[in-house]
Amino acid sequence: MAYTPQYYPGSSHVAVNRRKHMSGDVEKLRTVSDDDLVAALGHRAPGSDYPSTHPPLAEMGEPDCPVRQMVEPTPGAAAGDRVRYSQFTDSMYSAPSIPYFRSYYAAINFRGVDPGTLSGRQIVEARERDMEAQCKASIESEMTCPALAGLRGCTVHGHSLRLAEDGMMFDMLQRTHLEGGNVIEDKDQVGVPIDRKVNLGKPMSEAEAKKRTTIYRTDGVKYRSEEEVLDHVHLVHHRRTMYGYRPETAAETAPGVGPVTYHTV
Amino acid sequence: MAYKYPSEKIFVEALKSKFAGLDLADQKVKYVRAGYLQNARKREFQAAGERVAEQRGMKQYDVNVHLGGMTLGQRQLVPYKLSTRPDIVEGDDLHYVNNPAMQQMWDDMKRTIIVGMDLAHETLEKRLGKEVTPESIAGYMEAVNHTMPGAAIVQEHMVETHPGLVDDCYVKMFTGDDELADEIDSQYVININDLFDKEGQNEKLKAAIGKTTWQAVHIPTIVVRCCDGGNTSRWSAMQIGMSFIAAYNMCAGEAAVADLAFAAKHAAAVQMAEMLPARRARSPNEPGGLSFGYCADMVQTLRVKPEDPVWYTLEVVACGTMLYDQIWLGSYMSGGVGFTQYATAAYTNDVLDDFTYYGYDYALNKYGPDGTAPNDLATATDLATEVTLNGMECYEDYPTLLEDHFGGSQRAGILAAASACTTGIATGNAQVALSAWYMSMYVHKEGWGRLGFFGYDLQDQCGATNVCSYQGDEGCCLELRGANYPNYAMNVGHQGEYAGFTGAAHAGAHDAYCCNPLVKVCFADPSLVFDFSYIRKEYAKGAMRTFRPAGERSLVIPAGV
Repeated sequence: MAYTPQYYPGSSHVAVNRRKHMSGDVEKLRTVSDDDLVAALGHRAPGSDYPSTHPPLAEMGEPDCPVRQMVEPTPGAAAGDRVRYSQFTDSMYSAPSIPYFRSYYAAINFRGVDPGTLSGRQIVEARERDMEAQCKASIESEMTCPALAGLRGCTVHGHSLRLAEDGMMFDMLQRTHLEGGNVIEDKDQVGVPIDRKVNLGKPMSEAEAKKRTTIYRTDGVKYRSEEEVLDHVHLVHHRRTMYGYRPETAAETAPGVGPVTYHTV
Repeated sequence: MAYKYPSEKIFVEALKSKFAGLDLADQKVKYVRAGYLQNARKREFQAAGERVAEQRGMKQYDVNVHLGGMTLGQRQLVPYKLSTRPDIVEGDDLHYVNNPAMQQMWDDMKRTIIVGMDLAHETLEKRLGKEVTPESIAGYMEAVNHTMPGAAIVQEHMVETHPGLVDDCYVKMFTGDDELADEIDSQYVININDLFDKEGQNEKLKAAIGKTTWQAVHIPTIVVRCCDGGNTSRWSAMQIGMSFIAAYNMCAGEAAVADLAFAAKHAAAVQMAEMLPARRARSPNEPGGLSFGYCADMVQTLRVKPEDPVWYTLEVVACGTMLYDQIWLGSYMSGGVGFTQYATAAYTNDVLDDFTYYGYDYALNKYGPDGTAPNDLATATDLATEVTLNGMECYEDYPTLLEDHFGGSQRAGILAAASACTTGIATGNAQVALSAWYMSMYVHKEGWGRLGFFGYDLQDQCGATNVCSYQGDEGCCLELRGANYPNYAMNVGHQGEYAGFTGAAHAGAHDAYCCNPLVKVCFADPSLVFDFSYIRKEYAKGAMRTFRPAGERSLVIPAGV
């Protein structure tokens, strides 16, 4: 995997953060133990073996297939893990990440992942141990503020709701709460209580969240002021339209659209 | 229209009603987690569920079942305000099952067919040598209004329907020929001159219809509640045939009757919606085959308020979202209840109204009067970008607004609809409006890094390619696209809006109709049960439990049931 660096327009720190997320160039801020992560995900008991759906590939006597010879299996695929998921909800109140950039991060920087992107949640499905590796990297990094983001398998709504008085994103199922200044998770992704308190660390301050965020907002970096990103959008619209009408003109610069430079990190 | 966007956001009053006593701009709130008891309708439902369980000896509705006992209502359950209306209602009252006005709107569409009279008159005159006069037409109208509800004619000792059960059924006629219209008994005529007396719409419609003569048939509501929409043409044609036999003293078995039946069923019949292909397998006059142009023509607000194209446009959106999202996609195609939430965002709390009037004001100042902005991508780009940015900023500045439209699909539909409606009115061109829709989706997605559910990654990301392309199976003018158009067939939160900005374009162009003048005239009829001029007002009446629908069975069931 050598897809870095990634390109994206815009000069604000929001645009820079977007490039960092895409490139996997994110800072690690906290440590969550493997057992704590497994408990929070809720797919298997901490310490138990990975359930499998087929024997290890090495024992299966695979057919003579050029694709299989070219593509090295991920550890989860090699072991025959089942496919499981992790799903994040990110608040629109300057949570560090946003669904599409979580997906870009996963798809660009990890193998064998299947990201799905919605407005209020972002899911990654993969072989179980591969999913856990991707999820652990996400949850330990600056992409995740434990107060403004959360692992939510169902009843995810909260991303667009007002924050609670203590700054936590609303969660109908109350999977997390503040305790001694730290965010504690005591229910798994689907709201089933777990037998431990997973310490996800301190919430980001409002200033830190705004510094690390990837969302444009009127109380942060105004989208309207990021002209290069808007020009990029206009160019995409022009090209997609013209490819269906007069393809030979689609590569031309759209009238009224300024130059777009795609920067690296 | 001279218009000035107000100094205070139009949706603020609705938010004040919904979030009484709270600072609308506060990003934080104390969550009381009061559960379902905070909401009168949920309490009513809980009590009703308990009664049902007691009566039938088997459990039914129980609000406490959710996820192992965590009751719904952990956040504030807020009511809804019908846009442009003072009425505050519960969200539950906007599910079509709970709202008889919504049901009647669809019933009135489904039970309608327009049938040309000229082919039948030619058959009678040229083949049978009979004379067709205004008097004979009036005689036919009398016969058909007797028999269309399900009464016997020609044959004796036949079973009939109870007139009180089918009192909503009738047939009227209309024509572009003033002279003929004047000579027919006025009780049977849809008067184009009176109903379309503003901005010369009557002359435009009469010119389009010419001297042709049509009958607007509305079969009984109770019939389409038992049968599918394909029955409308059959029920209608059977009664039309019998009425011609009676009115013109024909032999019931003569071959000309077959010609009359063929004309009524096929050759002269205008269905409200097309039949769907086998993979979706619906008859004519079912919502999946209703084109956006027809839907826009059914809504009559442009006739009564032509000076306000935004109002008309948003009434079409209200009509279309309820029909396409709540009934078609929400029930026919998927089942379930969630689709109501997508649709209500478009016709409640004055949000779409605010965003669209903002765009309308912007377009008037920048491009001049309705329908005069250039028909090009630059116009779509400019208007969609400005309207979308303004809307996103509103959601950011008013956290209660963002909470009200808590799903990205709701916001995406509203922002794109406002962009497209603005552009449609400004340019008078539905295709440019469609381009603005896609531009809005791109602007929205890139700014917030989120859009709607997966479907928004399908049709909203690839749809721009088919705005200008008219190649077969790829593109089509928006007026003739419909709910079953490729890529539109599975995605909630779009189709009603498409109908809306189809209407917007023709309102901007000051047309008298969008797609079919016959449909426009047919639904102007004040005798219809549902008033197609004021969609949201009718929904409010349904929600407030003051709307009286047709097709009720109280005449033939035990009292008090």
